[in-house]
Amino acid sequence: MLGQLLVSSITSGAVYSLIALGFVLIHKGTGVVHFGYGDQVTFGAYAVLIGQALIGLPFWPAVILALLASALLGALIYGTLMWPLRNSTLLTKIIATLAVGTLLREFLRAYMGPSAWPFPFLLSPAPVQFAGLYLVPANLAIVGVSLVLLFTLFFLFERTIVGKAIVAACDNRIGASLVGVRVSSVFLAIWILASLLATIAGVLVAPLLSLSPDMGLIGIKGFTAAILGGFTSLPGAVIGGITLGVLEALAGAYISTALKDVITYGILIVVVLVRPQGLLGTLAVKKV
Amino acid sequence: MSFRIAPLIVCALAFAAAPYFLPEFNLYQVCLIAGTALVVLGLVVVTGFAGQVSLAQAAFVALGGYGSAVLHSFWGLPLWIGIPLVSAIVGLLGFVLGLLTLRVSGHYLALVTMALTAIVQLGLIYSDPLTGGAAGMPMPSFEMFGFTLSEGRQLYFAIVPTTAFFFVIVHNLQNSRYGRTLAAIRQSPTAAQAMGIDVLQFKSLAFGASAFLGAFGGGILAVLSTYLDPAQFGIPQSVYFLTVAVVGGLMSPLGAIVGSVVFVFLPDFLQSFQTYLGLVFALLLLCFILLRPDGLISLWQSPRGLVRMIRTGGAN
Repeated sequence: MLGQLLVSSITSGAVYSLIALGFVLIHKGTGVVHFGYGDQVTFGAYAVLIGQALIGLPFWPAVILALLASALLGALIYGTLMWPLRNSTLLTKIIATLAVGTLLREFLRAYMGPSAWPFPFLLSPAPVQFAGLYLVPANLAIVGVSLVLLFTLFFLFERTIVGKAIVAACDNRIGASLVGVRVSSVFLAIWILASLLATIAGVLVAPLLSLSPDMGLIGIKGFTAAILGGFTSLPGAVIGGITLGVLEALAGAYISTALKDVITYGILIVVVLVRPQGLLGTLAVKKV
Repeated sequence: MSFRIAPLIVCALAFAAAPYFLPEFNLYQVCLIAGTALVVLGLVVVTGFAGQVSLAQAAFVALGGYGSAVLHSFWGLPLWIGIPLVSAIVGLLGFVLGLLTLRVSGHYLALVTMALTAIVQLGLIYSDPLTGGAAGMPMPSFEMFGFTLSEGRQLYFAIVPTTAFFFVIVHNLQNSRYGRTLAAIRQSPTAAQAMGIDVLQFKSLAFGASAFLGAFGGGILAVLSTYLDPAQFGIPQSVYFLTVAVVGGLMSPLGAIVGSVVFVFLPDFLQSFQTYLGLVFALLLLCFILLRPDGLISLWQSPRGLVRMIRTGGAN
């Protein structure tokens, strides 16, 4: 019973990890917490749906089209909003990202309707029995994809010159531009990368949840996962996501299903207040 | 008092004359504006004056509405006592919450207040016997000294003076010692602390004030809508109130009223575009935060601002 519970909880944990990865990427990279990221996840899934239903593409070309569309969206958000607002106060930036999220959600509600759409599974949702546990291939794929993405990102930042330029630009903007890193292109790359991540998350998550304009509210779970992991660490995001998934499943099974979400939000508040650096992050010392 | 006499007389005359000239529906809209403005005034204090992003306003609005309805249905407390009483309790609660949560700021605070709204909404949905659960509960009617006020025409005389009262308080607060302290905290919490200001306490007071005004406005809005539906008090509603504040002008109490006027009348103007209403609201928020972060009120305060904005493409 417990084993089965843990196996299933890892799926939702992986979903939270994927979304948390995007948050951490944008926050670590550009210093902005993107409050509309959950809605970008929804947008990605809808883009696939639009490609299939309206243009009549098969599934995979529709996914590729959605990835292109989301890359464009990321570039658009950076170019028209975050770049002009780069010297604004944090308050303005927070409101701007909230506005992006609301805009995407309301756009989808206006053009695709407020009700839920069915979304195809990538792999079979039928369970397979293995060592006494029921495993669902579609769910395993989510876990697999988030691990692959984590390692890809890790490789990118640790082993490639582009990745190192990104890390340098994040650590010290002026220093990086002095050694020849074009900081604005680095930020653009981060926004595009995070938007692609959002679409991948959306395609994987949409079959599990119901795909409606309000699916983006799952973003708050991604926040919780990112905060658990420290908000600046990529492996932390994945560990935070899995931890949250397991905690939620345990709370749902042993305390009350109704209070499952309340516990998630409670975790968010408690971690921010008690240990804002999360499980793995390091505390930023504020310089005056 | 930083009010001049002439505008005050004009306002008083307009207030007294309006019921004779305006039809019932418009008076109802005026009440709606007054209720919304009260909620948004709370945001002006906490986000505009003190610079703390709060996404908890929908939660306070919900608590104000539900609290006074529950007091009425369980103890028969009339709403005209219940709403101020509940608002005072919620305000106190906001102060204590502020002491706990305002040690963090910026996006951490936005996240915490966001989670708070989600928790309150779920709490209302899962407290079936008290709140009617997901189906919601009817708001009792507003009775005062044996009279039942149900139409906009009657509620007008109770709601508009209330908002005017709190508007004057917030307006005077801005230029008071307390308001200047909040401005100092907004500009640099570290410098404010170095000058001996108890930053946490002042931020918490502002948060408490926003909770009080939110709950008070919530009670009024609930009376006007006559029904409490928990689906209306989620995170998107908090963003809605923030939108009203930003479009009106986050830094000015008058902005709260201007914003509320725009957002109450807009749905009427866009009647044939009901589907796109949410989209229009979101676009407004985006355009204002990008081009005119001080809101509509800043155009009024500097008439040439509009000309400059058009000429420079909002790049100032």
